[in-house]
Amino acid sequence: METQNHIVLIANRGEIAVRIARACHALGVGVACVYTAEDAESGHVRVAQELGGSLYRVSSYHDANEIMSVADQAGATAIHPGYGFFAEDFRFARRVTTRDRKMIFIGPSWRVIRDLGDKINTKRLARSIGVPTVPGSDRPIYDEQEAEKVARSLYDFQLQEGVSQPLVLVKASAGGGGMGIEEVYDIDQFRSVYRRVRNYALRQFKDEGVLIEQRICGFNHLEVQIICDRTGKNPVHFGTRNCSIQSVGLQKRIEVAPGFDPSSIDYDFDAEALLKSITEHSLALAREVGYDNVGTWEWIVTREGRPFLMEVNTRIQVENGVSARISRLRGESGVDLISEQIRVGLGEPLGYTQDDVSFEGVGIEYRIIAEDPSHRFTPWVGRIERFSWKEEPWLSVYTHVPTAMTGEPYDIPTEFDPNLALAIVWGKDLSQATQRGKAFLDSLVLEGSNRDGESLKSNVAFLRKNSDRLLRF
Amino acid sequence: MLDISTLLEEIKASPYEEIVIRAPHTGIVTFSDLKPGDRVQGKTGRWKEIPGTRIATLTRERNPKPVEAPLKGELREISSEFEGQFVEAGTQLAVLRHFLSRDEVIDILLRHALHLFPAPERAKYYFVPQIDTKVKVSGCQSVTVQQGMELLIMSRMKRETPVYYTGPGGIIYAVYFKHNENVDAGRPLIGVCSKEQLPVVEELVLRVRTEWKEVF
Repeated sequence: METQNHIVLIANRGEIAVRIARACHALGVGVACVYTAEDAESGHVRVAQELGGSLYRVSSYHDANEIMSVADQAGATAIHPGYGFFAEDFRFARRVTTRDRKMIFIGPSWRVIRDLGDKINTKRLARSIGVPTVPGSDRPIYDEQEAEKVARSLYDFQLQEGVSQPLVLVKASAGGGGMGIEEVYDIDQFRSVYRRVRNYALRQFKDEGVLIEQRICGFNHLEVQIICDRTGKNPVHFGTRNCSIQSVGLQKRIEVAPGFDPSSIDYDFDAEALLKSITEHSLALAREVGYDNVGTWEWIVTREGRPFLMEVNTRIQVENGVSARISRLRGESGVDLISEQIRVGLGEPLGYTQDDVSFEGVGIEYRIIAEDPSHRFTPWVGRIERFSWKEEPWLSVYTHVPTAMTGEPYDIPTEFDPNLALAIVWGKDLSQATQRGKAFLDSLVLEGSNRDGESLKSNVAFLRKNSDRLLRF
Repeated sequence: MLDISTLLEEIKASPYEEIVIRAPHTGIVTFSDLKPGDRVQGKTGRWKEIPGTRIATLTRERNPKPVEAPLKGELREISSEFEGQFVEAGTQLAVLRHFLSRDEVIDILLRHALHLFPAPERAKYYFVPQIDTKVKVSGCQSVTVQQGMELLIMSRMKRETPVYYTGPGGIIYAVYFKHNENVDAGRPLIGVCSKEQLPVVEELVLRVRTEWKEVF
């Protein structure tokens, strides 16, 4: 197999690094891993060692020179960025593929990342081929007066449309993952919100440009999972997901595949036609740009069933596993989108068409996070002492927390998000998946404390409570 | 009441600190022609524009990065066994014995004299925009703080939370955090000097300036 002479450097950490290492191992591809001093105890270091990969301590996951130098030292032929860090950095992807010692960037080609990674350009591209997008600015705004003018015109537009309480969103144009987004309830407060987001954007992303958009309320957040090989001509979708259960700051907490369930829920609109429409629009945009790896098209769908494309995430998403769980390839289960990504990333042809992909049942993914839902989901930092659950054939849990692997205590590093695990349950329908999801959450043992003696706080109760309102508006 | 004499005697009994110089990032290391016992200089010049003595060079992506002595002192150890090898970030390259300067002694003593406002959590800290501008333009001592005022932004795990000052009112005499660097919980962020403390602080500075003799 073409993939077997490769060594992939995993430029990431945590759960995704564990999954990439395992996928590479299954494909017969060598791995090299990086870790920082704070992450020395992380499960991804342990798994890389177990799988015979080489390990390098680096100063930061954000340092491109560091990653390149380690890749050279390890003899890597490819770099997998995972999600976050360099995953959507077209300059990094370009550097990997054009430097003297060229390597493969396991992700879309840098031109595609550049074109679709920019929310504003994506909006323009989408509008040019008739894909519906959220009303609002289609370029970053740096001037306060101009920003206020756009916001006021969006207010007026919503009033004309009959929206009783118009709302405007101010977004850091270079942001992502729900960071740097605030709502404006009162147009007279616009300037203070604008200044706050602008300052935040400058601190976090070194770019103070903002986008002003209409805030659509009561929507569902849907995603379409796409994959294509290096030809960029044969994109295939792996269905839709619904990511509407979020914490404050628009951080996803539960994802469900498929995006709607017309077989058990009555919608006020034709849900099946809507899912078909957003997958077709997504595939059309993928073809238009010659998309050549995995990616996610993010949509919002109003209560009336109107879809708007929000953005395209040119990377493997956290929630890829829930789409894989309900997918069947030529009738076979056990689809692994990370393996698929590595395979096509290394140059293999996709090897199947849309007709070979089918779907069965409902999958639910729970993000288990050390945080305090009663205090705006504030991250909790401390030591995990017990972390276990009851194994089931319908359950997959992905984690980098060593406590779950060996029982050893683990101190959550403050440098990163306190994400502990992803749990994916499957059921033949929504009701069975929900029931199994709750059974899993009930069986979960997660204990620990911090240096002040405070017990571990997690979002498990929040996940359980929200399990009853999946896929509903 | 602060006993400046006792504190000064304690510092005089051990007037140095050992500094471990580590590889700031990965790369191939080549050492300069130095040996244990050699004296080295830290950054000097009005703007600290003159680099310290080069201890080693780390080459990464064809970019040689000098690793310089951060402060003046005497080399105690050099890890010459790594010469010409690829080293990971954090690898120990040298150990330096640094003899405390007057300003450093003042800084140590000030931490006893000032009201220290500690970091509530391990996080990155920034002044709120209005205060940040004032500090940049006129220096930290131009800022007066009062109990309950919104002073800092704590940035951790993608979240930003306002931090309100607690403690006696006064001017910010010293800032102990740096832009984009994590501060451990309990470490001081700022040192505040109240009106009543000002004579003590002035006496402290004066005494160190007259009594402390720098080694070299």
